[in-house]
Parts: sequence; structure tokens; C-alpha cells
Amino acid sequence: MAESNTKPKFSIILFSGTADKFLPLGVLSDAAAAMGYEVGIFITGFALLGFTKEKHTLPFSFEFKDMAPMLEQGMKATNTKGWYEMIKEAKEIGDVKVHACSLTAAMFNLKKEDFDPIVDDVVGAASFLQLSEGGQVIFI
Amino acid sequence: MGNKIFVDARGSSCPGPIVELSKAYRNSVVGDTIELWATDPGVKADVNSWAQKTKNKIDSITDQTDKIVIIIEITNR
Repeated sequence: MAESNTKPKFSIILFSGTADKFLPLGVLSDAAAAMGYEVGIFITGFALLGFTKEKHTLPFSFEFKDMAPMLEQGMKATNTKGWYEMIKEAKEIGDVKVHACSLTAAMFNLKKEDFDPIVDDVVGAASFLQLSEGGQVIFI
Repeated sequence: MGNKIFVDARGSSCPGPIVELSKAYRNSVVGDTIELWATDPGVKADVNSWAQKTKNKIDSITDQTDKIVIIIEITNR
């Protein structure tokens, strides 16, 4: 593996709280970890509800609701893992951190201990900007 | 001569084969060869990207009737 100070960075801001958008989060995080990227995931807004200890059933995007069964069947047919399993795997094979947004956490009355252990810390926007500086950032 | 490491990622879809490859890579040393079996057609492009990024060498990518066989030479750890 490349030295830590030369590792390329890949950061994902996940704002959406729908199940379909958690899938690319898992796929890209796992792939980036496998490629040796340092991966930073910033979860904010409705996405926080997917990361709490208390498990919420994530809704499907409204505009694609009719296609939900098709996606579920397709995931089974292609042996695609669930997003949570992919993030866990990414954390095992690479340098992957999950940062929860402190502002929206406060809005939903969520504290560090309310989050699944997959979440590394609760930070503000300034921390994430600094952590992701110099790398690729995508917003989902 | 290094070791030959075999990875069977048949039936696994993106990014599965690359994840399985990276797991084998973590336990490899320079001089080892990894033989990766996969059925996801995306693996052919992805393995090239992986090799460029991690500075390793693809020796061959062979389409067989039931699988894709990729031989990777570990040149960087």
C-alpha cells in the first residue's frame, strides 16, 4: 500500500436518506478503499437516520418508488451486498472514516452514542472541508 | 520466484472482484503473482485502473467461456 502521506483522497457527502442512494455510497466507498484511496464519508441531513443504532427502514426515492422491487431483485441476482456491509468491508480493507454532521445531528437530537459504531466522530463542516482538502469530493 | 495467489471472485459483482483482489494484495509481497477469476465483465477495465493506481502490472486478461482470468504481477507493495 502507498505511504499514508501520498494516498489520494476520495470524499463523499451523503445528504439523501433514501435506500437507493445508500447503494452508490457503499459501492464507491468499497471500491475506493480497494484502490488505496483515503476515504472520508460525511453524513448529513436525512442520511444520519441510516447510521443510528436504532435501525430505521430507509424509504426509497419517491420518483423511482415503482422501481424499488426491480432494484432489490437485481441486487440479489448480482450478489450485491448491502450498503452497510460494503462500508464495513471498506473499513476493514482500507482507510475509511465516517463523520457525522454536528449541526444536523443536533437538529435530530442525536449524540455520538446514538450512532452505530461505524460512525467515527461527529464534526462540523469546517472539519470536513479540511479533511477532504486536495481530493475528489462527491455529493449524493 | 514469488508465491502464486489464487482469487475466485466468480459470481461477485462490482466492486466485489476488485475488493477481493485488494484483500489478496494486502497479504502479498513484491514478486508474487495473483490469478483472479471473475465473471463481472466490468472487471477488465477496473483491474487496469486498480493496477495503475497501485502501481502493479497486469500480465494478461483472458476471456474464457465461463469466466475472465486475469494474471497480476505484484511489483509494488
